[in-house]
Amino acid sequence: MWVKNLLDVCGKELRRTLSDVGVLVFFIIVPLLYPLLYAYLYSREVVREVPVVVVDECRSATSREFLRKSDATADLKIVSYCSDMEEARNLMHRHKAYGVIHVPAEFERTLSEGRQATINLYCDMSGLLYYKAMLSGCTIVSLDMNRDIQMQRLSGLSDWEKEAMTMPIENEYVTMFNPTNGFQTFLIPAVLILVLQQTLVLGVAMLAGTENERRRSGALVLGQEYGNPIVVLAGKGLAYLLVYGFTATYVLCFVPWLFHMPQLWQLPTLVAFVVPFLLASIFFAICISFFVRDRESCFLLFVFVSVPLIFMSGISWPTSNMPAFWKVFAQLFPSTHGVNGFARINTAGALLQDVRTESITLWIQSGVYFMLSLLIYERLYRSDKMPGAEFILNIRTHVRKNLRVAVRDVEEVRQDLKEKAGKLRNRGKQEPN
Amino acid sequence: MSGTKQGFWSIVRREIVRMQSRPLYGLSMIFAPLFCFVFFTSLMREGLPESLPAGVVDEDNTPVSRSILRNLDSYQQTEIIRQYSSFAEAREAMQKNEIYGFFYIPKGTQEKASSQEQPKISIYTNATYLIPSSLLYRDMKTMATMASAAVGREVLLAKGASMDQAMGFLQPIKMDMRPLGNPWLNYNVYLSNTMLPAVLALMILMVTCFSIHTELKDGTSREWLSMSGDNILKAVSAKLFPQTMVFSLMALIYLVILYGWLSFPHHNGFWPMFAAAELLILASQGFAVFMASAIPSLRWSLSLCTLWGVLSIPISGFSFPVMGMPAPLQALSYMFPLRYYFLIYVDQALNGIPLVYSAWYYVAMMAFIILPLVDISLLRKAAHEYTYLP
Repeated sequence: MWVKNLLDVCGKELRRTLSDVGVLVFFIIVPLLYPLLYAYLYSREVVREVPVVVVDECRSATSREFLRKSDATADLKIVSYCSDMEEARNLMHRHKAYGVIHVPAEFERTLSEGRQATINLYCDMSGLLYYKAMLSGCTIVSLDMNRDIQMQRLSGLSDWEKEAMTMPIENEYVTMFNPTNGFQTFLIPAVLILVLQQTLVLGVAMLAGTENERRRSGALVLGQEYGNPIVVLAGKGLAYLLVYGFTATYVLCFVPWLFHMPQLWQLPTLVAFVVPFLLASIFFAICISFFVRDRESCFLLFVFVSVPLIFMSGISWPTSNMPAFWKVFAQLFPSTHGVNGFARINTAGALLQDVRTESITLWIQSGVYFMLSLLIYERLYRSDKMPGAEFILNIRTHVRKNLRVAVRDVEEVRQDLKEKAGKLRNRGKQEPN
Repeated sequence: MSGTKQGFWSIVRREIVRMQSRPLYGLSMIFAPLFCFVFFTSLMREGLPESLPAGVVDEDNTPVSRSILRNLDSYQQTEIIRQYSSFAEAREAMQKNEIYGFFYIPKGTQEKASSQEQPKISIYTNATYLIPSSLLYRDMKTMATMASAAVGREVLLAKGASMDQAMGFLQPIKMDMRPLGNPWLNYNVYLSNTMLPAVLALMILMVTCFSIHTELKDGTSREWLSMSGDNILKAVSAKLFPQTMVFSLMALIYLVILYGWLSFPHHNGFWPMFAAAELLILASQGFAVFMASAIPSLRWSLSLCTLWGVLSIPISGFSFPVMGMPAPLQALSYMFPLRYYFLIYVDQALNGIPLVYSAWYYVAMMAFIILPLVDISLLRKAAHEYTYLP
């Protein structure tokens, strides 16, 4: 019997969803287009040929070699040779260049004396990628030239230099999972997960807002339309899950494929992880949708949240360095665990056991948000009223009452301590006598 | 319509009552920006992440490899938390997000060292997490080079070379990096300076569009328009005036947080940034009115304003430079007020160059303010005739 009811609710919800253009925009169009736009924006992965200017006060063969080689790297492009720093600064101010390579006059002489010679790099810090490009471009060239210089000196050479040459330990660098150190590979997985959660929240909230508007206008009476709350919630959840089965496949599998991003996932892992993520997001969405009064307010309430959410996931600023409060707060949102899990499954080829913490948390979230929705829905179902303002008022009086009690308690403890301190002080005074 | 007062200030009063009547306005105009101000500035209060967890793998396990490990002195930003017995184990730790990177010393390192070949240390970082990965790389590269130099330097010094000569041989050319304006590479400076106004601008775009279109939706637009004597410009500016005041207060709060409390670089003082923030508010309102007039549907114009607000964050170029984007998007970036705000911030606060270099950016923001003049007559028409369709 309840299965039939469940399918009934599910079918009704599907029809309601598919016939509402506003909701379809969130469920289909935004997930369809937005990831493409974002991936396209970062499709070049890194910045290449950052324009820099040169102030070469040395004008020697070595300095010219250094500059020529820097210009030849993919990172940098020398756009102008300036006679002094003033001219270089002027070009920086006009955004013609984002860095200055300055070779001091004594560069060649210092080098020929066998001492360490310095090249100064001035870098515009409006973007860290300029800094990165300049640092890596010039470092590659200097390492290369250092080796040449050492070889030249060795041909002349004393024994101890030879010996030292063979001793140093070389090092090599491997960036794992994101071979170009690219922005797209790093940021897009997080954006994809966030798009799924946020469109769900917005769409479900819009449905709830519409329902609420209809109820206010008397077009909808709750008691008649709905049955057992558990069945209703499960039915709705099933309907959204069906829609998002398609949406998620497109967003998480097709978009990265289209942009040739790393895709190291294995199907069982991906499915086993994405299902709890979608369930958690769905019931999270239903849970907060109860507080939406009309169709369009979901924009104002939930869109901006995406911005802090992407940072809470720790994909950008590392989780290990977040203040404890935000770390705990971030646990409330499915996206935090979704982003962390999916980024590692997709980009780093993690298996289900590697993302166990995240997937267990998502299952717990699904359960908790389901129960919470049930609780609110139960009230709603019985009273045929939205918990909206009244619900918040109740919470407020409750909190206020408890606060008052807490304040009183603190006051009592303070008095108590005062008395004790007074007694101690008195005793202290008496003892010396 | 009869009996309602007319004039600018009565519309202002009416709008204040409307704003107070719904918690939605308070939530989106005051709570949302304040939450983000506190969130971003407190999230990155360290400035530059410290003690990022890293590991080591020593598959050689010989006196030479152990001496290399000993020479890997910890740096401020890197903390070696564990030694793993194999490459696979370290990679798994990385996949579990326990570490962001590790050193790898392969088997045969000692053998190579004794047979006059150069042994090699490998540095692996998990670039799925780009920021910790880049920072770790910088530190680990230095650590490895220093460990290597320590060995070479000892030999050279023992042979009677001076410190100067030793370094002159080991590293003849040295780079001296001088980051202008943000010498600490502080991420809070780098991100919050644009993130806070970005969130504010997003809320302005949405609230402006929403508040205008709810007049149409609720059927109060005729009353609103008649109060202005059928002058749509007067009606809109009076309606938005109290919102401008609230948003200006919000802007003032974030400016005080950034340049007063946290003392982020503001080389040309407070006023150029205050002017930029005020212009950002007005420009965003202008853009939203333009959208609201052009598209006579609450949902669609609100959707577009939202898209614009969210998209302005990446396209302003503060995290990924505009020069690295595909050409069509580079052109599109001129259509976002936040882009100009970011350029002004770079010139006036970060680099502190003469105001004249940023003059055009200020002018561009002003252009957004008068943008609605193009199509506001459509809004007037809609206010007279519109009926809401869900």
